[in-house]
Amino acid sequence: MASVRLYAIIYVVLLVLGTSKFVFFTFDHYFTYLAIDPYWGAMGATLILAVAKSLLIMAYFQHLIDEPRSISYVMGMGLFMVFLLTIAAGYSIQ
Amino acid sequence: MADDFPPMTSIKRWLVTTNHKDVGILYLATALFFLLFGGILALLFRVQLWSSGGVILSDSAFNQSVTTHGLLMVFWFLSPFAAGFANYFVPLQIGAKDLAFPRLNALSYWFYLFSGLLIGISFFQGGTFEGGWTMYAPLNVPMYTGMEAATGGNTAILALTLFTISITLGTMNFLTTIHRSRAEGMGLWNMPLFTWSWLLTVWMMLFAFAALLAALLLLATDRILLTQYFATDQGSSLLWAHIFWFFGHPEVYIVFFPALGIMFETFQTFTGRRLVGRKWVIIAMVLVAVQSFLVWMHHMYLTTINLEIKTLFMATTIGISLPFDLMVFALIYTMVKGRVRFTTPFLFSLGALVLFILGGITGVFLGAVVLDYEFRGTYWVVAHFHYVMVSGVTALIAGLYYWWPKITGKMYSEALGKLNFAVYFVGFNLLYFPMFLAWETPRRVFHYQEGMEIWHQMATVGAFVFGLSFLIMFYTLGKSLVSGPDAPDNPWQYARTAEWAIPSPPPLENWSGRPSYASGRLEFVDETPAAAPATDGGSPASDGGALTTADAVHGTLDQAHGHGHEEEHADHASIWPFGIGIGMFVFLLGVSGLTPSVAALAEWLDPEWAAEAGISGSVDYLYPAITLAGLAILAYVLFEFGREQFNAPEMAVAERWPFEGVGNTKLGVWFFLASDVVVFGAFIGAYVFMRIYAGWDTWGPVPDHTWAGLLNTYILLTSSFTVILALVMAERGNKKGLIATLGATLLLGLSFMGVKAWEWYDKFLQGDFWFSGLEYSLYYVTTGLHGVHVLLGLFIAVFMLYRIFTIDAYLEDSRPVEFFGLYWHFVDIVWVFLFPLFYLM
Repeated sequence: MASVRLYAIIYVVLLVLGTSKFVFFTFDHYFTYLAIDPYWGAMGATLILAVAKSLLIMAYFQHLIDEPRSISYVMGMGLFMVFLLTIAAGYSIQ
Repeated sequence: MADDFPPMTSIKRWLVTTNHKDVGILYLATALFFLLFGGILALLFRVQLWSSGGVILSDSAFNQSVTTHGLLMVFWFLSPFAAGFANYFVPLQIGAKDLAFPRLNALSYWFYLFSGLLIGISFFQGGTFEGGWTMYAPLNVPMYTGMEAATGGNTAILALTLFTISITLGTMNFLTTIHRSRAEGMGLWNMPLFTWSWLLTVWMMLFAFAALLAALLLLATDRILLTQYFATDQGSSLLWAHIFWFFGHPEVYIVFFPALGIMFETFQTFTGRRLVGRKWVIIAMVLVAVQSFLVWMHHMYLTTINLEIKTLFMATTIGISLPFDLMVFALIYTMVKGRVRFTTPFLFSLGALVLFILGGITGVFLGAVVLDYEFRGTYWVVAHFHYVMVSGVTALIAGLYYWWPKITGKMYSEALGKLNFAVYFVGFNLLYFPMFLAWETPRRVFHYQEGMEIWHQMATVGAFVFGLSFLIMFYTLGKSLVSGPDAPDNPWQYARTAEWAIPSPPPLENWSGRPSYASGRLEFVDETPAAAPATDGGSPASDGGALTTADAVHGTLDQAHGHGHEEEHADHASIWPFGIGIGMFVFLLGVSGLTPSVAALAEWLDPEWAAEAGISGSVDYLYPAITLAGLAILAYVLFEFGREQFNAPEMAVAERWPFEGVGNTKLGVWFFLASDVVVFGAFIGAYVFMRIYAGWDTWGPVPDHTWAGLLNTYILLTSSFTVILALVMAERGNKKGLIATLGATLLLGLSFMGVKAWEWYDKFLQGDFWFSGLEYSLYYVTTGLHGVHVLLGLFIAVFMLYRIFTIDAYLEDSRPVEFFGLYWHFVDIVWVFLFPLFYLM
């Protein structure tokens, strides 16, 4: 079990990451400097941050980091099913 | 307490029982009732098919009969019948005293029973669902009928939803039980093969039924709230097919695996030898379970999905037949190597193998894209899947005969059993084989071309012969129950699994000593302080070990029958699962009739849209009143369920790989969350799919105010922080701190709902409703499902605060706060993805 201090740090990081998503879409024109389409750049960056946020919540608030690895695998299987269905179905209509 | 537990002759016993053997019997009896129900419907439409365009049923009645027959047999008979055996025998085979969550087990059963009753009632609500058991869009939404005519169909869809919830609860329970309650020394490899087959079944169920639940929830919102998921020409039918068959193909193996497990058990017992290639058979089953999620699009060859993906799925479909080849040859070679005893259970198992081979081979045709273009939608498909599915039934009947003496303590007449098999096998083939010959007949249509009549008439005669075989079965078993001789503990001589080492029927607590395989064979350890440290029985380990004889099994019985000893008390009775079942039944019955009222509301909100869509309804007071009554009942019984002291102790000594170090309840919560990942994932996947179909850039964010989504992000993240602080406070035993942090979570949750309500209201003012178009449906329903999760979390938070105030709960045992937190954080994570998807992209 982590300390209150660590929980507070994670919470602040989550708030910052949450705000960043909004920022990416508000100032998406900056992606053009990286030769990236603004919309897709903002979308990609936002999804990466969403994954990072989720991992932080799972690891430290749900304590997956302290649990047997097998529980992470169970959740991973659920996620795999979602990606499998969504990606394969999306590809099937290309 | 066993002493207070009502006897089996008391009705009260069956309403309150949570004991796994009782629940197993309830499942078996109820499933047989639904077998009769579905069977009678089949006889009705087989009579209709005696000649082309038969007249005993109206068009609608024919469609209702065919649809409900399919639904009942696939959902309400096959899996629940297997679940009956699993309830009764899996705990016995692994050396447990009960399932991990006995009350949840009873709740699964009551949800199952009441969902079936809803199907029965749906016939009397203007007709039940008639769009086929696959419920293809757009036939699954009432766009061609009036709103009033939708009620019976709604009830059928809601019944299936309740059934799916029942399965999900059962899945969590069995996964936790099998992974954490195996007797000492019983590694996974050593588990009996029926238990192995059930373990893989529930793993498949965990993910497959979650997809079905998502599909049904979306369908229910379409039918009741008039959303647009399956009523458009913008990919609706493809969306349904993808989600349904993502569930539907694993469902084939979900249905068949327990039957396969019974075949393995009975082949071993009645050939007197260990299954050939046992380890490879287990690996093959695991492979099938994994591959089952990689073949679903072979049901969609006639849709507009692209050729590349069709070709890929043809390859995966051929691939999945290979492990089955291994299993079939293992069974055949086991017969060759053993000395076969042609008892009734073995005959049914052997018959199942023969029928499955035929069903499997004819299915390979359908896996090929080109051949499927010809066969799709014909009686070839009907014949093929009945050979597969009903071969599963054949093996389940083998299981019934195999375990009947153990369950009832009575033997049956072998002569009658063999007569039963002969009539069954003849009836089966007379019924289904002509369908291959009449393959050009279109499915679900009672008009067929000339020259087919002879095959259809043969099939109809076969149906009645097949039906007769079940009457013989009921007579045989009924006679056994009334006047059959007492069954010994192990009537089959070479039966090797643990259930045969205890009396027939087994005592309430299963065994008085603790089962252990630590020495490599089954022993019952007497743990009373004065007792000897261990006993020595004669039976070997699970069916992975060497053969044993009846004498050897009996060698353990002195211990199994042995004297009692002090141990942690386990409860076996609770009325609240039954109460929750009633509450859900009343609630869903009420919800089924809300469509006309919602239509009236839609007409009032947006008359222009209603006129264009041809939607009109009238406010009805009966169904809303029933809905409210159901909610009131649920509120009361769930509250009492939460308050009840019910003890289901974890096994002190058990094999728990790979979930050591995590308690039963926490593991159960994780399994639930894994299932919920798929439910939410399917909702989000539906959004992504429909947006890709429409062209990603066609739609923008539906909500007007991004800041509202951002504000709710802050609110939920803060509530996650307060929940984790609540856990810290509970662990410190700080009551005030716990109340403050949980109270803050409650307020934050309410704030989230407040912002969401404002946002929706703002959209309503602009004339953008949940029925206004597909993109609006996707937004309202997905964020609405999330809102429902938040709301349920708030109810739990309120209940927990009540418990803290009244009994100082969670100060000595903080685990419930942690479990609540797991759920709450999950809801937060979902929002992490919903915010960008619906507010930014």
